[in-house]
Amino acid sequence: MQFRHDQLDNGLTLLAEVNPSAATMAVGLFVNTGARDETPREAGMSHFLEHMVFKGTPRRSAADVNREFDDMGANYNAFTSEESTVYYASVLPEFQDRVTDLLCDILRPSLREDDFTVEQQVILEEIALYEDQPSYRVYEKLMGEFFEGHGLANPVLGTNESISAMTPADMRDYFDRRYAPGNVLAVAVGNVDYDRFRRFVTDRCGTWQSRVAERRLLPAPGHVRQTVITDPRVLREHLGFMSPAPAAQGNDDYAAQLAATVLGDDSGSRLYYALIDPALADEANTTYSAMDRTGAFYTFVSTDPERTSEVIGIVRDELLRFRDEGPTEAELLAAKNKIASGATLKGEIPMGRLTAVGFDWAYRGEYVPLPEQIDRMFAVTREQVTEVVRRYDLTAAAVLGLGPCETL
Amino acid sequence: MSEQFFVRELPNGMTLLGQRMEQVSSAALTVLVPAGASRDPDDMAGAASVAVEWTFRGAGVRDTRALNDALDNLGAQHDEHVGSEHLSYASAQLGRNLYPILELYADILRRPRWERATFDPSRDLTLQDLAALEDEPARKCSLLLREKYYPFPLGRSAYGREETLAAMTADTLRAHAQRQLSPRNVILAVAGNIDWDAFVARAETVFGDWEGPAPAPVPTAEPAGGVTFLHKDSAQVHIALAHPTVPVCDPQYYIARVAEAVLADGMSSRLFHEVREVRGLVYTVGTQYHSLKERAGLFTYAGTRPELAQQTFDVTLGEIRRLAEGITADELQRAKTQIRSSLVMHGESTSARAGALASDWYHLRRLRPLREVSAGLEAVTVDDVARHLREHPAREFTVLIIGPEELDTSAYREA
Repeated sequence: MQFRHDQLDNGLTLLAEVNPSAATMAVGLFVNTGARDETPREAGMSHFLEHMVFKGTPRRSAADVNREFDDMGANYNAFTSEESTVYYASVLPEFQDRVTDLLCDILRPSLREDDFTVEQQVILEEIALYEDQPSYRVYEKLMGEFFEGHGLANPVLGTNESISAMTPADMRDYFDRRYAPGNVLAVAVGNVDYDRFRRFVTDRCGTWQSRVAERRLLPAPGHVRQTVITDPRVLREHLGFMSPAPAAQGNDDYAAQLAATVLGDDSGSRLYYALIDPALADEANTTYSAMDRTGAFYTFVSTDPERTSEVIGIVRDELLRFRDEGPTEAELLAAKNKIASGATLKGEIPMGRLTAVGFDWAYRGEYVPLPEQIDRMFAVTREQVTEVVRRYDLTAAAVLGLGPCETL
Repeated sequence: MSEQFFVRELPNGMTLLGQRMEQVSSAALTVLVPAGASRDPDDMAGAASVAVEWTFRGAGVRDTRALNDALDNLGAQHDEHVGSEHLSYASAQLGRNLYPILELYADILRRPRWERATFDPSRDLTLQDLAALEDEPARKCSLLLREKYYPFPLGRSAYGREETLAAMTADTLRAHAQRQLSPRNVILAVAGNIDWDAFVARAETVFGDWEGPAPAPVPTAEPAGGVTFLHKDSAQVHIALAHPTVPVCDPQYYIARVAEAVLADGMSSRLFHEVREVRGLVYTVGTQYHSLKERAGLFTYAGTRPELAQQTFDVTLGEIRRLAEGITADELQRAKTQIRSSLVMHGESTSARAGALASDWYHLRRLRPLREVSAGLEAVTVDDVARHLREHPAREFTVLIIGPEELDTSAYREA
């Protein structure tokens, strides 16, 4: 395993974790932009733009882009979050040049009017699709409440109104602001010929004009409030709990990840024994989201409506107990073993390593080989985990209910 | 590079399968037990799902907590799935933890405690899973379609029905489930950095003295088929269609897979291109191949807003039928590259390989090396696909729609 990196004169950064014994390779272009970087009028722009990036360039039509990915048998897609937009493809090593060329080219899209009009409809469909998924709605609404007044409250998909009102000119304006080369990481993982990768990326992206594209980093609020969204079309009550957590930067992320695992992993966690084992809920899990200069613990529970207040009481008790006592040594060790095993399995596939390598660099400006990541995680102590859940008071949680209940 | 495959059939009817992968440090297990949802008695529909929940609430010397703690401490990334024929247990972990995991699975497969005290929560969780389906119309649509499409009860939903779950007791379920505790036709596959001989020795120690009867055949009735509309005040109309294709064991399997790839693999596929890229009717549209031992189907799903639902239904059906007019040489080549590339990608994952070994054995009673699959695909011609589609025309569909308004589906059955 070899790590390589370079920076082009225009600010674009290249990274590679080279593993000559891998059967495949993966390439990702990580753009440091997302919903938090949108103005209210631009709600949903980052995600809509992600779709438009696949719609062609001066050299390629939309159909060409799709066909060329499929001609290579690539496993490819993109995703947009509150703060990142990532385009990725994994291919057999023989297609390294072609896939690199294609990904670099589409990152300078034409944004043609007719493609824009069709894709606008697809985005409206995607919004409707998530309307039928209460678990997604809870997360989106709770982010909106918890971070109200801050960019992180912006809905990634936007709204029917914001998407319908957008024009290609608005999108061009956002693109120019955010897709500057200094905001882009080109990452390759697996069976990669790095020197060729660097040559190709330099050739295709070296001419991109350098621009300043800084993120406005306002302090993130964490509004502790209770919200009820009554929707009689939803049959079960869907509950979300959100509280502050360490940022992606800094040294507390392993402790935070361990805390979330002990508290709310799908198996063997505190919430599993408190809610799933006695069948008080059919789903209960806690995740840790590390974000740019901030973070959040998020617990999601789905339950029978008539048990709602009982279940909220139990979750609150568990959060309080965990904040006060922290994990036991046995719980911590089991969590470490689970995380190590999951990371190892993911790491055996280039596509699985890609996001870890990309985000480590994007947030922390560092490359950490997987074995060292696992060692760092194993070094975390009970006291460190306890200290984190106390400092970022787990009980200072915003609560949101979506379902038939009129009160919580 | 050719794969290192291993097979050992034990005298008790259990088959051990292995693939050695030298580049990895993990090892993954897949166990298929012929106790899937199609084997639930009619008045106990959902039995397999409840039994799995119940099993993880204590096995061998361990109670719920001890069993879960043991799995967690070994870093087991485990998952259980109730299929038509099989209950499948999958677990992936570091290779050095493989033997202790194997011993835990011997308890899970042979010595579930199935205690009265843990029955109610196991049953209640399944009831909640069933209720939760109402909030996931896309998933519900696909599950019900399978039920209507396959000869009953082969496609039956694993969640059962409210009345069968409510009527189940610890005693009735235990009596039923105990009859299925047998090594006959059980397939246990392992893939990863393994020492095969040592693995077989361990497996023989923990499974060698297991005895039990052969599973009975499942009697089937004609499929329901037809069009089903379920009213729901949802944001999207959920449209699902199924039509027949050949199963994995059929000589035309590779031809059928190529045809399916042209229809629905990738963003340049016929369906994605026409329904989403050109017309902007949907976010999701796609077709999944699914095969039982003797029957298989192509399951198509599209989700769209009510005002576009009729057009989406018509265009989707039209694209599936248009395939019968034949495919181009370019499409053929693209489909072959896509399938081969996805095989290589799955070949890097120990979990995917363990699953593929078990599936090969069940469908074909042998393990297919990558070069055999590649050769099978490479041999497919444009004419093969045309002939196949003439012999297996997409004439009649089973249709399931969930949404606020009914559609005109009369075109589902070709005049």
